[in-house]
Amino acid sequence: MSSVFVTQAVVDAGPVSMGEQVAFYVLGTGSLIGALGMLFARNAVHSALWLVLTMLNLGVLYMVGQAPFLGFVQIIVYTGAIMMLFLFVLMMVGRESSDSVVEVLRGQRLAAGVIGLGFAGLLVAALVRSLTQVKPIGLAQPNAQGGGNVANVGKLIFTDYLFAFELTSALLITAAIGAMVLAFNEKRRRPAYAKSLQQELVEARFQGNRPSPLPGPGVFATANSVATPALLPDGSVAPESLSEVIESTARERLDPDLLPEPDAHALTAPEQREGES
Amino acid sequence: MISFLAQPGGLDALQAPEIDYWAMAPLLIVLGAACVGVLVEAFLAKPQRWPVQVILTVLTFAFAGLTLGLRLTKDPKGLTTVAGALSIDRPALFLWGTLLALGFGAMLMIADRSVEPGGSFVASAAIRPGTIQDRAQAGQHGMQTEVFPLALFALAGMMTFVAANDLLTMFIALEVMSLPLYLMCGLARRRRLISQEAALKYFLLGAFASAFFLYGLALLYGYAQSVKLADIAEATGGTDRSDTLLYAGFGLLLVGLLFKASVGPFHTWTPDVYQGAPTPVTAFMGACTKVAAFGAILRVLQVAFKASSWEWEYVLWAVAIVSMAIGAILGITQTDVKRMIAYSSIAHAGFLLLGSIALNHDGLSSTLFYLLTYGFTTLAAFGVVSLVRNADGEATHLSQWAGLAKRSPLVAAVFSFLLLALAGIPLTSGFIGKFVVFRAALAEGMGPLVVVALIASAVAAFFYLRVIVLMYFSEPAADGPAVSVPGAFTTAAITLGVVVTLLLGVLPGFALDWAGAAGFVF
Repeated sequence: MSSVFVTQAVVDAGPVSMGEQVAFYVLGTGSLIGALGMLFARNAVHSALWLVLTMLNLGVLYMVGQAPFLGFVQIIVYTGAIMMLFLFVLMMVGRESSDSVVEVLRGQRLAAGVIGLGFAGLLVAALVRSLTQVKPIGLAQPNAQGGGNVANVGKLIFTDYLFAFELTSALLITAAIGAMVLAFNEKRRRPAYAKSLQQELVEARFQGNRPSPLPGPGVFATANSVATPALLPDGSVAPESLSEVIESTARERLDPDLLPEPDAHALTAPEQREGES
Repeated sequence: MISFLAQPGGLDALQAPEIDYWAMAPLLIVLGAACVGVLVEAFLAKPQRWPVQVILTVLTFAFAGLTLGLRLTKDPKGLTTVAGALSIDRPALFLWGTLLALGFGAMLMIADRSVEPGGSFVASAAIRPGTIQDRAQAGQHGMQTEVFPLALFALAGMMTFVAANDLLTMFIALEVMSLPLYLMCGLARRRRLISQEAALKYFLLGAFASAFFLYGLALLYGYAQSVKLADIAEATGGTDRSDTLLYAGFGLLLVGLLFKASVGPFHTWTPDVYQGAPTPVTAFMGACTKVAAFGAILRVLQVAFKASSWEWEYVLWAVAIVSMAIGAILGITQTDVKRMIAYSSIAHAGFLLLGSIALNHDGLSSTLFYLLTYGFTTLAAFGVVSLVRNADGEATHLSQWAGLAKRSPLVAAVFSFLLLALAGIPLTSGFIGKFVVFRAALAEGMGPLVVVALIASAVAAFFYLRVIVLMYFSEPAADGPAVSVPGAFTTAAITLGVVVTLLLGVLPGFALDWAGAAGFVF
């Protein structure tokens, strides 16, 4: 690889060399295929892997373009760290979720496709024109000065772009807080008596509303489950007998047979129980 | 390879850039306070966080305002610092002052816990909406106090955005101001699904707009071989470069900026996000983001692209016309107060663009003044919107506002005054703002555009007046909303907005003098 750099470094800003052209066409095609694959892959994991292909190609393209530092950063940071983290997240969140194929706005996809292609065509046409007008300037000259490519990048970061560089820390802090806020679910605080001393426990019981223990679930009353509520003498459900876990679980998530079924042996009608619980 | 990467003996001693800490002090104070706010979140117990954050916020604004005031007393022209990355000139200081004042008002509304018990932010955002846990936490009185540091970060991003003197700093400032806003949009206590939808929509479209900005930045770098605004300006003076790169880059860059300012055809996020976000956040976005985005547009147009203005001027004419038309016409059809103010903000963005295209000193000072007036009026308007409530939270549907004057004459009177200011009726700041902007545009020979703007103002006035008529001349609905009595914070924010709106309508001279004190330094 080092020979590639050296030969590129020798070629000055003049016309693009044959080797560079070949590299460009190979890598450019690769990155384009990767980008299209990312867009059209049905599976999110496949999309991410196509993106890795694009990034690898871009990384090598940077190296060919005499920016080795950028190339390595592209490969190590983007492809190595960020994309792998991204894959982790995809795997954790679950990769089954697929796109909905229902169009909410009629004809939206067609319109978006046509306009998108038109925009891409406009941009490509304009940029192709500018390719002939713009004089290419290689990095050979700046790379030869100072301490070489890496040192020069470092120098720019800590002089000309110092403020921009420091400001990115605000971005990182925001991102970290955002992830915490959106994903971190604080554990429900334990009830006060859980960790308290015996004396406090006694006081809490006798000064509270209920000196006696909580009623047990109505196991064996109508069913053989702790999810069955205990019934009060008038036939209504004793709310204290309901398990907190069951109460705090979304109804849809409970197994269907745990939900109260219409039961001939029940003391109250199902609708009534529904309303009380 | 090693010899190539680091050539022996080639590393010179680094010259550290000069940093004028005193000039940057307001910005550094806000950034530092945001970091301290994060530490407060990390180390304090939950019940202590809210009071500490409120005290910290008040101190931040006090100190930032103090340093800004000291700065104004000296250095009439301004300077660039940190290797030219920031330009702290008169327009930047004016915008900083505006942002700090508006940000303070918005922070008061964010901190308020009286209108909505516990604050308008959700107690725990990680709980999925609609679950039993979510219903349980609706009764809790806590709120996610991370909102305070997030808002301060957003404010710091905005302050950097208006002072950024190169496109790279501007881009990072754009992200610093947007990212917290995306988050804060999704943290509403009530109607969480629509709030999260707003956040997602804003995030996706915002990321898209950032990509446009970045693409434009790259093309402009190819054009001028520099991202500094002054270098781009210099490059546009010559003729030996590719115009394609210039105009493609400029266009893409502008799409990113116009998106943030919710102008014209790049406005699609605005109504949904304004409606879905918690109202204090909407007020923050409506007032401060607009100021920041137009501050940056002014700087980019006046500093970097003034020389090439005859090429793009008519494109922006078209954008301004589209923006005013969309805002005024679609605003009429709205039935939700927050959406209506959102469309009104799109129309106002068109008026502001008018002043921004007038590339002279009057254009600059009038646009700055308009931003000041518009910000305070919008802030107070959203403050009033947050007061009209029923059992489900805010009653934003217009039919619910019928006969509001009979229930609460004071709130109806205040809101009518603010709507008149938005419409631009004399004796309000809105009139003076429109007047100076239109005058500057006329002086630049933009007569047809001013005529369109006047028609758009007249059309827009219709839907403002319709709300006033609804409030005063309709019978109140039987199950209509109640008007909550606001606590000290929201009262202060609304009062601030109303007083400034009145003051700038009656005595605009001093603010116009500030706005026109000096031009950009680059």
